[in-house]
Amino acid sequence: MSLFRKNWTAIEAEEWTPHDLWAAVLSAVAYFLIAVGVAGVLLFQLWGFVTLAAGIVCTVVMLRIIDPKLRAISTEFETKEAHYLERLNRVTRWETNDER
Amino acid sequence: MTEMQLLVRFTPLDWMWTALFIILMTLCGILFYQLGKKSESEFFLAGRGLPWWLPAASVYSTHTATDTPMWIGGVIYKWGLRGIWYPFFAAWCAVSAFISTRIFRRSLAMSQAEWQNLRYSGLGAELLRGWLSGWQTFMNMFVVAWVSAAMGKVCFYLFGWPPWFGITFFTSICAVYVLMAGYWGVIMADFQQGVIAFIVITLVSVWAIVEAGGPLAIVSKLDALGQGWRANPFHFDGFWGLDSNHFYVMDFLTLLVMATVGGIGMGNFIDWYPEAQRIQSARTVRDAAYSIWAGGLSTVFRNSFWAVSILAFFVMFPAIESEAQYEMGWFRMGFEHMPSGLLGMFFAGIIAIHLSTIASHLNLGALYATRDLYHHYLNPEATERQLVRAGRWNTLFILLGAFLLGLFMQSITSWLIFALWLQAAGIWVPSILQVVWWRFNSWAYLSSWIANLMMSWLVVWVLPALGVLPELPNWVNFWLLAGLVALVYIPVTFLTAPDDRDHLVRYYVMARPLGWWEPVRAEAIRRGLITPSGDLRLEAER
Repeated sequence: MSLFRKNWTAIEAEEWTPHDLWAAVLSAVAYFLIAVGVAGVLLFQLWGFVTLAAGIVCTVVMLRIIDPKLRAISTEFETKEAHYLERLNRVTRWETNDER
Repeated sequence: MTEMQLLVRFTPLDWMWTALFIILMTLCGILFYQLGKKSESEFFLAGRGLPWWLPAASVYSTHTATDTPMWIGGVIYKWGLRGIWYPFFAAWCAVSAFISTRIFRRSLAMSQAEWQNLRYSGLGAELLRGWLSGWQTFMNMFVVAWVSAAMGKVCFYLFGWPPWFGITFFTSICAVYVLMAGYWGVIMADFQQGVIAFIVITLVSVWAIVEAGGPLAIVSKLDALGQGWRANPFHFDGFWGLDSNHFYVMDFLTLLVMATVGGIGMGNFIDWYPEAQRIQSARTVRDAAYSIWAGGLSTVFRNSFWAVSILAFFVMFPAIESEAQYEMGWFRMGFEHMPSGLLGMFFAGIIAIHLSTIASHLNLGALYATRDLYHHYLNPEATERQLVRAGRWNTLFILLGAFLLGLFMQSITSWLIFALWLQAAGIWVPSILQVVWWRFNSWAYLSSWIANLMMSWLVVWVLPALGVLPELPNWVNFWLLAGLVALVYIPVTFLTAPDDRDHLVRYYVMARPLGWWEPVRAEAIRRGLITPSGDLRLEAER
């Protein structure tokens, strides 16, 4: 399965795949690099510029991996949302016996 | 309160900036009053229809409070640039955006307490919902109190106003638009406040760096003072040790693991609770993910600006020993070095920082008190009108409680490290387990909360004060508490029955959690409620 896959069916997108793991890891790495990089840039240190650039690259790669999948999940879930919200209100109002 | 005072003199232009800003904020309440009063969902979630950048701005501005520059100023002045790893706990957003945010958004729970009711079943779930909603009502009151106490401290420092006035005045202004427009007022004001705060923080921090002689001069002055290590975020005093006046690799690793792995869970950090509200107010799962991701990243970005401006403060004032004095470093750099006219803009920025946090926590506390306590337990048949009215009364209740608490708070830094980090230690693993493991049940989570509350106070405050335990460094406290609390919830998990299978299947189909859910997933497939993607591929091949 390509890491930079663009087309997802709704059912495929609902499953957890390596794309989610890669997105989470790259996202954390990007935070780390940007935190250090911005401080380094403000102190005008070479390591700051290099680290910040690496953080931006991580962010771009992360978005390319996860964005198509997130779009597919969102489209699928929106079709079910009204039904789920109705059930949620029944739970709050203690009207859950009809679901069994 | 500190004895230190600056007594700033404002020009008419400075007061004009301040007045304009206050008018702009209260207008938010009036403009969005009609939307906020329509229903419970509008009053607390803005109708669940926001594009990602609005909740993202709210995440940023909510977590930029008056006490935040004091806290970050305190840790950077004490530890140098390696102190940025303390506020790096915001990195939980990096992982959460693509894991727990997605799961929580799909659950549609209005609050974390309501999610407990969807994830768990029976009496345990109800006890958890009741407990979390009561706890969060109090915690939000507590947050409003400590942020207001910080504002009281700033106003005393700047104008010599009595603390009670600084604590109550600006918080009361904020209460006007929260009471009128609910979350609509919060989110719209947060967007403006986020932009203003971002500009002001950047401007003042860069100003401070320039005042200290510029970036390279800061580095060379640190070297000249024999403090060059302060510019290195990876300077550690050894791999591990028990001296709380040292910063070890284990401190760094603990903070890093706690933040990133913690992003898989829900409720590990007190920041999760306001973020949960922002997640549900986003219009889609994708918007929710990006709002948390971008909001978290902008706070990390902001921390680095503050950190370097505190290094600038350090090279100008290197020998301050009082925590109460050096944690005001960023404010001093702004008020002592910016010209007249810009001082008012700086103060407006501080008000923005203050109001955005107060507004979010007033509305959030009212959400728990209204949705989970009033609506679920006291009046399940309440009409939308009654719910909005209850929301407003609860907002007022939290405001008044916070004023009382705020008058008793002294040191900002030690409270924050305790509340943000150590108090989360014991429930850190359980908060992950409840997301990733079907067998972890309501009794286990409830027991971890109770054990954590008792043990965190014992280990951090009571036993060291009695001389039973030495004062331990934060990283040891964290793992010690995590281990001690595990001794309670692991047996409880296996000695009590799993949650009701039907309930778990319904939750699984709706939220699609990550992790060890195989028995529940198999049951959902057997009932024809979900189709695994592998089956689709097989059908396509046939």
